[in-house]
Amino acid sequence: MKQHLLFPYWCRYLGWGLVIAHVPISMIGRMSGMINPLDNPAGNTGIFTGEHLFFIGTTLLMALGLFFVAFASEKIEDEQIWHIRLDSLRWAIYINYLVLIVSLVFVKDTAHILELNLWVPLIFFIIRFRWIIFRLTRSLSREK
Amino acid sequence: MKNNIRIARAVKNITQAELAEQVGVSRQTINTIESNKYVPSTVLALKIARVFGKPVEEIFILEDGD
Repeated sequence: MKQHLLFPYWCRYLGWGLVIAHVPISMIGRMSGMINPLDNPAGNTGIFTGEHLFFIGTTLLMALGLFFVAFASEKIEDEQIWHIRLDSLRWAIYINYLVLIVSLVFVKDTAHILELNLWVPLIFFIIRFRWIIFRLTRSLSREK
Repeated sequence: MKNNIRIARAVKNITQAELAEQVGVSRQTINTIESNKYVPSTVLALKIARVFGKPVEEIFILEDGD
C-alpha cells in the first residue's frame, strides 16, 4: 500500500507520555499561581509574559501529545485502517462544527470556544478510531 | 458484494493470517472482507484473486443491490 504521511508507531507512546506529563505540570503551575489567560481575559494580557508562556507550553504539550496519538501509524497500516482513519476524521469534523455552531449561538465566552475547538476534533477522532479498532480486534478474537 | 474467500482458503488450505501476510494486510482486514463487512479496493481484490490463481470475478461476486 502507498505510504501516507504518518508518525512512526512508537510516537503513540510518546504522545500519551506528553498528555500525561501535561497534567502534573499544569497542576503545579496553577498551584504556584499561574492563571490560564483564557480564565482571566481582563487580567494580564501581554504576550510572552510568564503566564502566557506557561499557557503556551502546557497547551502545546497536550496538543502535540494528542496529535502524536492520533496520527501515529498502526503496526500494520493497511487500506482498512486508512478507511477507518478517514471516516473517523470526517466524524470528528462534523462533531467539531456542530459543537462550534451550538457554542457560537448559545455561549458568549469566545475564548473558551477556541480552546474547545482545539481539543474536540482530536479527542473525538482518537476515541472513535480506537473504538472501531477495538471492536474489530474483539470480533476477531471471538472467532478464534 | 459477497465473496468466496473462505471457500477458496479452505481449498488452498491456508489460514486468514497466511492470506493476510501474502497480500500485505492485517488479519482483521481479511476477516472483515470474508464476513462482508468491508469491501476491498480493486488492488486488494486483484491481489487476493492472484493468491488463489483465479479471476477476480470468481472470488468477488456483485449482488443485486450493488
